[in-house]
Amino acid sequence: MKKEKEVAKNKKAKVKELLKEFGTRVYRDLDNSVFPEVAIPSRSVSNIVYDKKLRQYVLGKAMLSRSAKNMRHLRPFTQLVWMAFFVNKLINQGKTSTLRDIYYSAQAFNMDFEDQPESDHTITDLEALLTMAREDFNVYPEERSSVFGDLTIEYTVPGYEGRRLNLSDHPDGYLIGPSLSTAEFVKTGAEMVIAVEKGGIFTRFVEEKVHKKFKAIIVDTAGQPPRSTRYLLKRLHDELDLDVFILADGDVYGEHIAMVIKSGSANAAHLRELTVPDAKWIGVWASDIQKYKLPTDPMTEADIKRCHELKKDPRYQSDIWQRELDLFLKMKRKSELEAFSKYGLTKITDDYLPEKLEMANSMD
Amino acid sequence: MSQATFREISPSEFFYRNRDLAGFSNPSRALYMTVRELVENSLDACDHNKILPHITISIKPVEKDSPDPKQYVVTVTDNGPGITPDYVPMAFGKVLYGTKFTLRQARGMFGLGATMAILYGQITTNKPVTIKTTQNGKMYEYTMQLDIQRNRPLILNKEKTDANGFKGLSISITLEGDYGKSQNKIRDYVAQTALITPYANISLQDPVGNKIKFKRVTKVIPPPPLEIEPHPTGVDVETLRRLIGHEYNTSQSFGQEMKERVKKELGADRINQSSDTIADLAKKRWEKLTRAVKTAASIVVLLDINLDDLEKVRVDNIDVPNSKISYITLLDENYHTIKLKKINPFFKHLVSVVEGDTVLDFMTRNFQRVGPNIAKKFIDFAKIDSKKRIGTLSNNEIVALADAMQRYPAFLAPDASCLSPLGEKLLEAGIRKVFNAEFVATVQRPPSAYSGFPFIVEMGMAYGGDIKTDSISLYRFANRIPLLYDEGSDVAMKVIEEVDWPRYRVGQESPLIIVSHICSTRVPYKTVGKEYIADRPEIEYELRNGIRFLARKLAAFLSKKGHLEMQKKRAGIYSKYLPMLAQFTTELAKAKKEPNYKPLLKLGEEVEEGEGGSEEQESQG
Repeated sequence: MKKEKEVAKNKKAKVKELLKEFGTRVYRDLDNSVFPEVAIPSRSVSNIVYDKKLRQYVLGKAMLSRSAKNMRHLRPFTQLVWMAFFVNKLINQGKTSTLRDIYYSAQAFNMDFEDQPESDHTITDLEALLTMAREDFNVYPEERSSVFGDLTIEYTVPGYEGRRLNLSDHPDGYLIGPSLSTAEFVKTGAEMVIAVEKGGIFTRFVEEKVHKKFKAIIVDTAGQPPRSTRYLLKRLHDELDLDVFILADGDVYGEHIAMVIKSGSANAAHLRELTVPDAKWIGVWASDIQKYKLPTDPMTEADIKRCHELKKDPRYQSDIWQRELDLFLKMKRKSELEAFSKYGLTKITDDYLPEKLEMANSMD
Repeated sequence: MSQATFREISPSEFFYRNRDLAGFSNPSRALYMTVRELVENSLDACDHNKILPHITISIKPVEKDSPDPKQYVVTVTDNGPGITPDYVPMAFGKVLYGTKFTLRQARGMFGLGATMAILYGQITTNKPVTIKTTQNGKMYEYTMQLDIQRNRPLILNKEKTDANGFKGLSISITLEGDYGKSQNKIRDYVAQTALITPYANISLQDPVGNKIKFKRVTKVIPPPPLEIEPHPTGVDVETLRRLIGHEYNTSQSFGQEMKERVKKELGADRINQSSDTIADLAKKRWEKLTRAVKTAASIVVLLDINLDDLEKVRVDNIDVPNSKISYITLLDENYHTIKLKKINPFFKHLVSVVEGDTVLDFMTRNFQRVGPNIAKKFIDFAKIDSKKRIGTLSNNEIVALADAMQRYPAFLAPDASCLSPLGEKLLEAGIRKVFNAEFVATVQRPPSAYSGFPFIVEMGMAYGGDIKTDSISLYRFANRIPLLYDEGSDVAMKVIEEVDWPRYRVGQESPLIIVSHICSTRVPYKTVGKEYIADRPEIEYELRNGIRFLARKLAAFLSKKGHLEMQKKRAGIYSKYLPMLAQFTTELAKAKKEPNYKPLLKLGEEVEEGEGGSEEQESQG
C-alpha cells in the first residue's frame, strides 16, 4: 500500500510538471513575439477507435490545432490556458473543485464562458492535451454514487490526513467524492465488488447483508457511473485484486453500463485509467428474463434503435454481448432489477445473485 | 318576346355604377383614394406652375365617438395657382372634364380625380362639397353637388370674401370612410409621397389628433414635362382617327398656353386683344406664323371674339360647303352655329385645315421623331399615296395606316422629354428625408421605350441606420405617385427576387430598402386598379440593370464597412486576450515578470482576415 501512495504522489508531481511545461511553452512564444499554438488530439467521432489490446476506446491520430494568431481561435486558446492556470492553483493549494464551480470561478478572472458546457469542454481539452483525467486536476463531477462494504480507508485530503474509516460503518453507504477518491486503501475483508445500477437495489443489498453473505463491497453506480466511480472500481480491482461484477437492468442501457465500466466510454477515449477490462456483466441478461420469467415492458423505438447501434459497435462483437443484444431484439421486451420482487423481495439476493455469481466464476 | 332597351348614360352615371373601377370599392379604400386624388391634383397644379408645394391634409370625423365606418370630412389645402372661379363648377362638377388627357406625364390616373371623390361622398352622405379658391386677393367659396344623371354641377351657394393672404385651393369632401382600417395606407401614402416629392411640405392631421409633418428638404423642382406629339408605334386606330380629326375640324379647345403663343408670335405683349387687332397683326406677319397660331388667330377673327375668350370655346365643326362654323362655349356648354365670313387669309387657312394635309405632311407634323425622310420611307412601306389628303382617307385606309405604324421597324426611339423623372439627386434627398440610413444611392437609367411609349426608370437603395426591416422592403412609384397595393405582383418585386443577393453581401434579413420609380406617358399597369406594373421585358431590363448597379455600390460599402468592423473587432480581441495569456502563463511558468507580448498586439491587427477561416482546423498529425 505504501507503493500506491508513492504512485499517487508521483502522479501529482507529473501533473504539475506538465502544467508548467505547457505554461512555459506559451510564455516563451509570447515573449519571442511568436503566436503560440497548441495541438490537441481530436475527440470527434471520426477519430475514436477501439483498441483491442487495451480493450478500450482510444483516440486516433487526428489533431486539432489552435493558434493564438487565428482570431477565432484566440478565445478558446485563452480559455484553455486559463484552465491550466486555474487547476494549477487548485493543485498547489490542495483544493478541489467541481465542473460547475469552475464555470463560475472563471468569471472572477474575467474569463468568459458562454455556458457550462463550454467550460466543461475546455477542461476535456486540457485532459486530452495532457492525457490526464480531470480528477488528476482535482476536478470532480457533481453527481456522486455510493459505496458500502468492509474496506478501511485513510484520508489524504488536507485536515483529514491519517484519519481512517470503515466503509461499512454507515448503512446508507458513503458518497464517492473527492476525499474518498483520493483516500488510500488500508485493508479489506471483501473478496469481490458488486456494482449495481440503482440506489433501491443497493439499499436492498445492504439490508440483506449481501456484503457479509458474499464478502462483497457494494457500489451504487447511479445509472451510468461517473468517472470517479469507474476510477474507484478500477482501483478496487487493481490495488485489492477484487473481482468486479456488474448487475444492471435487463435492457440495452443496462448492458451498456456494464460495457462502459469494462471498456470505457467514447467521451473519455483520451483517458486510459478508467476501465476495468476484467469486470464481469452478470445480469440482468435477456436470457435471464426468459429463464426467470420476469415481468416485462415492451421495448420502445429508441430502445430498438440503440440496440441496433450497439450491435455494430466494435466492443460488442464477442459472443455474450452480441447474443444478448440479438435476444433483446427478438423479444422486444425488457425488465428492471426490481422485477424480481414479483417472486418476493429477497428473491434477487436469495436465488438470482448466487446463481449468477456461480455461473460467472465457472466461466473463467 | 322581351325587348332590350338601349339607353345612353352620362359619364358620371357610369362611374356611379362602376365606382369599384376607380378604387372606391369600400369605406376604407374610398377614404384613402379621396386623400390620394386630392393630394395628387394639388401636387400637379403646383408642379405645372413651378410653385413649391405646401399641402395640408385633414381628416375629421363628423361624429367623434361613433364607430367606423362613419362620416369623415377630408380637407386638402394647397398653395397652388387655384382655379379661375368661373371654372370651379365645371372642373369639379363634371366627370372627365380636365386637362390630363394629353401625352405628358401627370400624376392623376383616371382624370376623374376629385370629381370621383365628390361623387362618392355625395352618394354615401348626401352632403355637398366645399371648394375655396383665390384670385386677385379674393376668396371664392362654392358649395355644390353633382347632378349625377345629367353629369352637371349643381351650385348650392357661392360666396366671395377677402382672401386674407390665403392663396391656393382648398376642397372639403364629406364621405363615409373607415379610418381605422385605412390609416396605415394613408400614413404610408403620405410618407411615400413625401419621399418622391422632396421639394414639398406635406402634413396630415388625422382624426385621432396626430399630426404628421414632412418638411421639404430641397427647393429644386424637377423640370416640368413637355407636351409632345405621340410616337407612331404608340398610336392605335382610334388615336389616329382623332389626330386626323384635329387636322380637319380642329375640334379642340385652346388653353392658356395657346393664348401666350398667339401673343408672342404676333409680337406684342400688351396688345389690345380684340378680334380686329388680332386680324391686323396676324395679316402683317402671316407668312411667319406657325400653323397652330394661324388657326388660333383665324378662330378669334372668324368668331369675332377677344383673344381672352379663346380658351372658353371649343370648335366642334367647320362646314365649308355651307360656310358654317359650330362651337361650344365651355362655361355654359351651349352649342352655337354661325355663318363663316370669308375674311382672308383666315378663311382660306381654315379651309386648308379642314381638308387636311397630305399624308406626308400629316406624318411629319403630328408625330414625334418623324421627319420627311422617315415619313417618306414609312409611307412607301404602308403603300399609301403620299400626296393624298389626310381628310379624304377611307376607313380602311386609316386602319391600314395604323396597322403599318405598328409594324414599321425603322422609327426612331420615342422622345423622353415628355417625362419628368425626379433625378438622382432629388431622389436621394427624398429617401434621406424619410429614412435615416447609413447608405443611400440612386441611379437614373437612360430613357427607353416599350410599344412606342417612352419611359425612364429611377431607382434608389437605402441601407442600415434607423431602417428596421426583417426583409428587403420595396417602395414603388409610378409617375411620382406611390403604389401601395399588390406589391407581390409588381415587376420590380419579380426583379428583386431574381437578384442573387448573397453575391452582394446582402442577407435575407438585411435592413435594406429599395425604391423604384417608373416615369412614362403610359405606365403599363396590369389591372384597372392601377396598383402594380406589368412585366414588360423592356422595363424589366432597366430595373434589373438599375438594381445591379446599386447592389454593387452597396456591396462595396458593406465590404468597406465590414473590413473596418473586422479590424476593430480584431484589435479588440487581441488586446483583450493577449494580456490574459501573459498573466496566466507567467504564473504557470513561474516566471518573475510577464512576457513581452506587446509586439504581438500590433501583429494581431495585421493578420489577414482569411486566416480566421474555420472554427477549428483539423489535421492528420
